[in-house]
Amino acid sequence: MRKLLIATSALALLFVLTACGGKDKETTAGGTYFEMGTQDYTDPKIIAYMVKELVEDQTDHEVNITENIQASPLIITAMDKGDFDLATLYSGEVYNNHFDDDKVEYTTDADKTLAQAQKLFNEKFDLKWFDSLGFENKYTIAISDDYAKEKNIETMTDLAEFAPDLTIGTDSAWIERGDDGYRAFQEHYGYSFKKALGMEISLMYEGLKTGELDAITAYSVDPEIKELNLKVLEDDKGFFPPSTASLVARNDKLKEYPELEDIINSMTDLINEEEMTQLIYEVDIEKKEPKEVAKNFLVEKGLLK
Amino acid sequence: MEFIVDYLDFWKERYISILEYTYQHLVMSVISLLLGILITIPLAILLTRLKSNFLKSLVFNIANVFQTIPTIAMLALMIPILGIGMKPAVTAMFLYSLLPLLRNTYTGIKSIDPGVVDSAKGMGYSAFQSLVKIELPLAMPYIMSGIRVTSVYIISWVTMAAVIGAGGLGGLIISGIGFNNKYLIFTGTILAIILAVGTDLIFGRIEKSRNKNRRKTI
Amino acid sequence: MEFLTELMQYVVENQSEMLSLTIEHILLVVYGVALAFVVGVPLAILAVKVERLAPVILSAANVLQNVPSLAMLAILMLYFGLGNTAVIIGLFFYSLLPIIRNTYVGLQEVDGNLLDAGKGVGMSSFQLLTKVQIPLSLPFLVAGLRVAAVIAVGVASIAPYVGGGGLGKEIVSGIAQRSDIKILAGAIPAALLAIIADYILGFFEKYAKKRTT
Repeated sequence: MRKLLIATSALALLFVLTACGGKDKETTAGGTYFEMGTQDYTDPKIIAYMVKELVEDQTDHEVNITENIQASPLIITAMDKGDFDLATLYSGEVYNNHFDDDKVEYTTDADKTLAQAQKLFNEKFDLKWFDSLGFENKYTIAISDDYAKEKNIETMTDLAEFAPDLTIGTDSAWIERGDDGYRAFQEHYGYSFKKALGMEISLMYEGLKTGELDAITAYSVDPEIKELNLKVLEDDKGFFPPSTASLVARNDKLKEYPELEDIINSMTDLINEEEMTQLIYEVDIEKKEPKEVAKNFLVEKGLLK
Repeated sequence: MEFIVDYLDFWKERYISILEYTYQHLVMSVISLLLGILITIPLAILLTRLKSNFLKSLVFNIANVFQTIPTIAMLALMIPILGIGMKPAVTAMFLYSLLPLLRNTYTGIKSIDPGVVDSAKGMGYSAFQSLVKIELPLAMPYIMSGIRVTSVYIISWVTMAAVIGAGGLGGLIISGIGFNNKYLIFTGTILAIILAVGTDLIFGRIEKSRNKNRRKTI
Repeated sequence: MEFLTELMQYVVENQSEMLSLTIEHILLVVYGVALAFVVGVPLAILAVKVERLAPVILSAANVLQNVPSLAMLAILMLYFGLGNTAVIIGLFFYSLLPIIRNTYVGLQEVDGNLLDAGKGVGMSSFQLLTKVQIPLSLPFLVAGLRVAAVIAVGVASIAPYVGGGGLGKEIVSGIAQRSDIKILAGAIPAALLAIIADYILGFFEKYAKKRTT
């Protein structure tokens, strides 16, 4: 008897679950919901809140943001499956194992990379890859400015002599990535670091602070570069691929809601690198909410009242 | 067929780094397990000698609290104290190992028939002799099964350590997710499973053969 | 001390958000474990009835248990899409082993004499199962649920990496923003949930034990 009771209550719970699963897709104002995903770093979060502010200001639609997805490929899978309609992605993603080798041509030219991403993601995933938001967020290698001055290091080539004694911190994927990862880097520049540790991106700076890391693969818009007084080394042999930020959306949603396309187009070249660094600074270091930072920026730019 | 060829190529190209990740994984697991054993066994013995129930339940409750902190949170909380890399990862795993090791050792010693210990005393054994010659050997099955359970958990949990830069098979998995490479995810997952299940089997064997030997001697 | 005040302040300021994350976390765990209960108990009964299947069922559950959590969620996401569904299925897989193993052991532990007595009074094998074996193995089953729930609370904390919710949201965004306050604001309630689940199910376990002896 008791077992029956437990079993039925468990079943009842499951029904509740399935009932909860079918979320109502209509907003209060009669528009629809756009699902937007962001990675676990800050610039896509800020962009997502900008999209949300603009869409909700100009249309009856609403934007539902899911933050902290572990990696861009997961976001692309989710977009392909229809879980997400929108995301911010970087043109270098085109080299991230999504396409057969004979389809992609590896180049460090920013325009060509973006053009390839726009073409290939449209063909294979039916996604519209928009023009640049105005900033790049490239991989670079950064070391402490003091160390750079002391050893007179300006470029990545200059680092060759010292690298065997240095530990580099990076996000886990970089160690294993293909044409633009650590393996290719070692071949391209002809040197290796003593150790390469993969980790959650936000922790690299922590490691630099505590001295456990000597170098990191920083992102060009990271405000910590200034904050921690780091030296970004010049990529003198042109190794790292471009990484232009763009909004990406599902074609079917754009067709159904052309007003969404207009809004995204209005964001082309909206933010340059310096501005993005400043915005990230406000979130990461001053601990403001991405939502607030995004809104203030749009007001400043006159896109929002 | 093509899949198999591709996968073999993948191994050919990367086997050195795959072995390295596996090695890191094992090193972290073994160190945290050894640390756990070194600390908990004396502690558990001490607890069995304690009269104060308050202290006993305090120690067990503390160990229990460690056990319940989600892995990702535990690792994240280690960072301000111990920085990144293997040190905080091993510490976190060590904290996780406390409860199962402590509980099994304690139960093992407590479950010994007091008559046996008394008769050892009667035969003129010192407290230390009684512990080493009688109690610990009798409690061994419990202690071993504690070590078995703990090592399997640790091997499985250590995969999260890659998030804080400690490497290990989790590194392979997380890179695989980030680099959109299913072989990497697959390889890291399978190796982690093999390590955990293999450890479980090996310890299971040891337990069984010990039990057999004991029966023979009795 | 100042840190604690800041933490309190954060929690108070975001209390409705914190509350809904906590509820979401609890639901994830309840669904995952309940699903494993519904599937696991029959599997355990099957394992007892058909001895040959026992090693297969137990080792399959054992292998599932040892899949690293992040890999499990990432792989499930490929099939079930982003969000809580993948997380619940993952928790379901992790809960299977403790539930199956404990129920299996519990059913086997039932004294053979009792079974014979049952047969003696003319019980069918179904009646034996529902009237004798299952009630007697209840303490083991609850112990299995207890282990499963504590593990599930922990695993659910990485749900945000695949778009799921729950208290992990605070933890993961705390890591991303390097905010110890956020990490703790997620970790402390999550740990408390595990402790409470452990305590409540431990209480039921004791109660069930008393009833059966």
